Amino acid sequence: MGASAKRKKERQQDFQKPKLKVGKARAKPDNFTDTSFRSKAIVLTQQSLQLTAPTSNAVFSHHLSLLTSKSDSQRRDSLAHLTSSIASRPVNSPLPQPVSVMLPSLLPLLLDGSNNVRTQLLKLLRTLPSSDVEDHVVQVLPYVRAGMTHLAADIRVTSVEVLSWLVEAAGEQVVSCAGGWIKTMNCFLSVLGWHTEESARWSSNRASFGKSGSQGRPMVKVLGALADFLEAGVGEPSTGNVEQQIEADVDSAWPFPLCQTGHHMVSDSSAPYTYLNLFGQPRDAEGEMYETREDRFRVFATRFLPAVDRGLKSAREEGGELGRASSGVSKVLKGALSYGPGP
Amino acid sequence: MVKRKLGALEKVEADLPNLQHKIRRDPKSYIEDFRAQHYQYESHREIFMSAPTSATDTGIISLRDLIDFITHVADCYPEILKDFPQQLIDMLMQHHLVLEPELREKLVGSIVLLRKKDCLDSPTLLHTLFPILISTPSKTLRALLFQKILSELRTSNSKTTNHKLNRTMQTVLFNLVTSDRTSSKALWAIKLTRELWKRQIWTDSKTVEIMKEASLSENEKVIIGGVRFFLGGDKEREEMEDESSDEEVDVAGIKHRLGINKKTKKKARVAQKAMQAHRKKEKKKNQPHALNFSALHLLHDPQGFAENLFAKHLQNTRSKLKLEQKLCVLQNSLPPRQPSVTSFLASLAQASHDLVPPDVLEPLIQKIANEFVSEASAGEVATAGLNAIREICVRQPLAMNETLLQDLVMYKKSKDKGVMMASKGLLSLYRDVGASMLKKRDRGKEAAMGLRSGDREQRRFGQEEAGEIEGLELLEKWKEEERRKRRLEKGLASDAEDDDEEDEEDNWDAWNVEDDDDSSVDGEWINVESDGEIDISDSEDEGKDRPSKKAKQDAEKAEEKVEEKKEEDAPRQSAFSKLATTRILTPADLAKLAELRAQASLESAVSGNKRRPGQLPQSRHTDDPLTAEEIEGLAALSAAKLTREEKIAHAKEGKTDRADHKSKEAKRRERKEDLGKSTTNKEKARKKNFLMTLGKARSKNKRSLVETRAVLKAHHDRKKRGGKRGNIGN
Repeated sequence: MGASAKRKKERQQDFQKPKLKVGKARAKPDNFTDTSFRSKAIVLTQQSLQLTAPTSNAVFSHHLSLLTSKSDSQRRDSLAHLTSSIASRPVNSPLPQPVSVMLPSLLPLLLDGSNNVRTQLLKLLRTLPSSDVEDHVVQVLPYVRAGMTHLAADIRVTSVEVLSWLVEAAGEQVVSCAGGWIKTMNCFLSVLGWHTEESARWSSNRASFGKSGSQGRPMVKVLGALADFLEAGVGEPSTGNVEQQIEADVDSAWPFPLCQTGHHMVSDSSAPYTYLNLFGQPRDAEGEMYETREDRFRVFATRFLPAVDRGLKSAREEGGELGRASSGVSKVLKGALSYGPGP
Repeated sequence: MVKRKLGALEKVEADLPNLQHKIRRDPKSYIEDFRAQHYQYESHREIFMSAPTSATDTGIISLRDLIDFITHVADCYPEILKDFPQQLIDMLMQHHLVLEPELREKLVGSIVLLRKKDCLDSPTLLHTLFPILISTPSKTLRALLFQKILSELRTSNSKTTNHKLNRTMQTVLFNLVTSDRTSSKALWAIKLTRELWKRQIWTDSKTVEIMKEASLSENEKVIIGGVRFFLGGDKEREEMEDESSDEEVDVAGIKHRLGINKKTKKKARVAQKAMQAHRKKEKKKNQPHALNFSALHLLHDPQGFAENLFAKHLQNTRSKLKLEQKLCVLQNSLPPRQPSVTSFLASLAQASHDLVPPDVLEPLIQKIANEFVSEASAGEVATAGLNAIREICVRQPLAMNETLLQDLVMYKKSKDKGVMMASKGLLSLYRDVGASMLKKRDRGKEAAMGLRSGDREQRRFGQEEAGEIEGLELLEKWKEEERRKRRLEKGLASDAEDDDEEDEEDNWDAWNVEDDDDSSVDGEWINVESDGEIDISDSEDEGKDRPSKKAKQDAEKAEEKVEEKKEEDAPRQSAFSKLATTRILTPADLAKLAELRAQASLESAVSGNKRRPGQLPQSRHTDDPLTAEEIEGLAALSAAKLTREEKIAHAKEGKTDRADHKSKEAKRRERKEDLGKSTTNKEKARKKNFLMTLGKARSKNKRSLVETRAVLKAHHDRKKRGGKRGNIGN
């Protein structure tokens, strides 16, 4: 057959030896790629040829820059390094980099896809001194809220954990900063699915949105965080006498004719006039600052109390671990209600 | 237990499209999920607004995805998303300069989508997009915005004209054009207006007013845009229409296929649809056009506008424009090395006409000759120069002076073929229009004789040729021939005068082209008039006169004929004009005239009569547009020789691929297949699957002699009969 003869020839051609000739360059193979090029100058990128090891500070900032790396393991390792270097620094020495520098690169990792990175991040955050965190709550909260409503359940859980850390570290700032009260409450309700009457009923699918994550019992953690949050926001001000003590201290700091001078001095918090919102976007009701417990309680009673009550009731009915967790929230709530809108 | 590997965790978990799909199907049940996503969007927005420049893609889901998601389900939760459109608009308006391109694009797309979902009204949309369009430095964004604005205007005008929207938009554009006359931002107004005019969405006077203001502005780009609109707006529109009605329906083909192919309901339906479309189109074709007011008609004060335009851009010496003032501009800027100098030359030639004073053009021609035409310059350059000079001189022959002409004509001896041809073109032109300026030996026989006899007079400035109807002589000739034929049929002398009455009847019929010919055919009754004069010359004209005036005019005619006899070689033109002036051309005549003209042009094209080199083609009129290619002319001839590779490429140009080299039979088969025709029986037999033929072949082997005989006999009989059914008639 004609075709097969042709094919046979083709097949043979593959194994034919190329003829070499004296004085001639060897024939280039078929798949030869010309890689030669012309250039006016060739620059070799500089390699670090220093003999001395980089300072720990330099390593720290290097790892900080590595947090935007593409690979999860790299991010995780960098976070681990940062954590260890913060934790192992001498007591009372300042951080290698100020928190305001670290936060912009740390916060996006709250929404990172990888579980390991987020847990490592949480560890790192826990090592930060709470006095430094207090001033940056406004920056952290939007990320936390974004995480709490994330489609991925794992991210939701992590950000709830971060929130409880934040409440622990700087509870007063969390509930009183701009948007910190209403928006965060909204996020809680949406995580728990307590927003509408229908969704709070026992038959509805509780953690309906997104896929359930690999970590179990998210609801319990969320309820725990909610209890902390409510305690910080509208909880019974058990610290009243402490405040008075401080007041007394302040009073005693000034000689006799001056009384209550501390109140007339410039506040020693970092940004005492933020509530004026001089340079920011105009805020709506949700983004407003609710600085006193009274304000917060009023808002809570009008907007959230029915939904929370409803949700707690159904959680209690469910029983088990969830019921136990809900009882913590109920306790806080009871305390708050008994205290009322305040003295 | 082995730990489950979450490789593509992102994709599995953050499945916004999935959620979107679910929400669209059942918005009520998924309201919680949506609310969560909305909160997330809010927090992302907060993050973004606090630092718009440094916004990075954080984590799995970016703000872009969220915006996209929320936009797509925006119509399901109008209550929750009251502020959403405004938020997007704010984001875009405030930060469009610093946004990353993808997010920016997404924002624009989302806003438009919201408009489509009716969450936003179109004035708001346009008020958002248009300011960005004219202020953004990004080209891609501008293109996107322009397209979106245009489509928005189109859709809102698609069902009924949205007068309110149009008015507001036109006001915005008008203000843009008039507010700052020096800025080039008005270009966007022009582009938009022009596009909408082209699509016949905006057809009112306000549109034209915008363009008028644009062409009176200070910025040259804007001016040119505006002027172009007035020069070519309508043409564009027509082209657009043509484009839209391009889908031809091959009715004959459909009918044919319907007759041959298997008849199914579906096919019948398709055919019917096609026929309907065709019929509709026919109807449309026959309909009178909706009045297509040209832009100038809509102008409030066109004369004033024209004068204004002239005063502003042409008389003002400082203006940067190049319309007729090119004449001055050109004189200063004509080095041959300048790019697109040929198009300059072409427009110069086209700008000149026979009423341009020759002393304006003369220095220009001198300049071109000096710059382009010299021994030292390259062949192409000289060719272009000569061609340009010729084109100018065709339009204004007086612009040439004698010495220059004689110099230029000398180039006909040039070795360069392009130059030679161009020079010869100039020569032949001047043989026609100004032979006296040529040297004696260049004049040629005809021109020399004409000069001697004195009928070849050079036209003076401003002298107009008497107008005539093109092709009239053809008509006359044809008429005469017809008459002669008729005479011969009747057996009369071919020159004798025909019966007037009958002619007249014919004439009245001729007014009605579409009429049946029946009425005029019944020529049984021939009234031969008693005083039928016999005229020797062609008396076609008499027949056309009304009977009442006949006698008088006949007398006149007779006199004329005698005169014509006397001066046989008088210029034919007088005869032509007579035909047109002495009788009224009927529609039939005009139709015939058009036909004859077409035929003549066809003949001249077919016969390929040798033109003198460089002469203007017969078909070209001096008013026809001139292109740079025509100025370059035969410059290709004087170009350098081709290299071998170029030659090979040139030779290969027209040829098809080697793969297409097939036998005639294969090509035929392919063509048939393309036409959707079936194969022949022979081909079918050849292509038949081998296994299918196997059974029969096997059984053939086993046949007995008797059976074989029977089969052969049957075959023979069948052959004789002509197939199984037999030929009809046998």
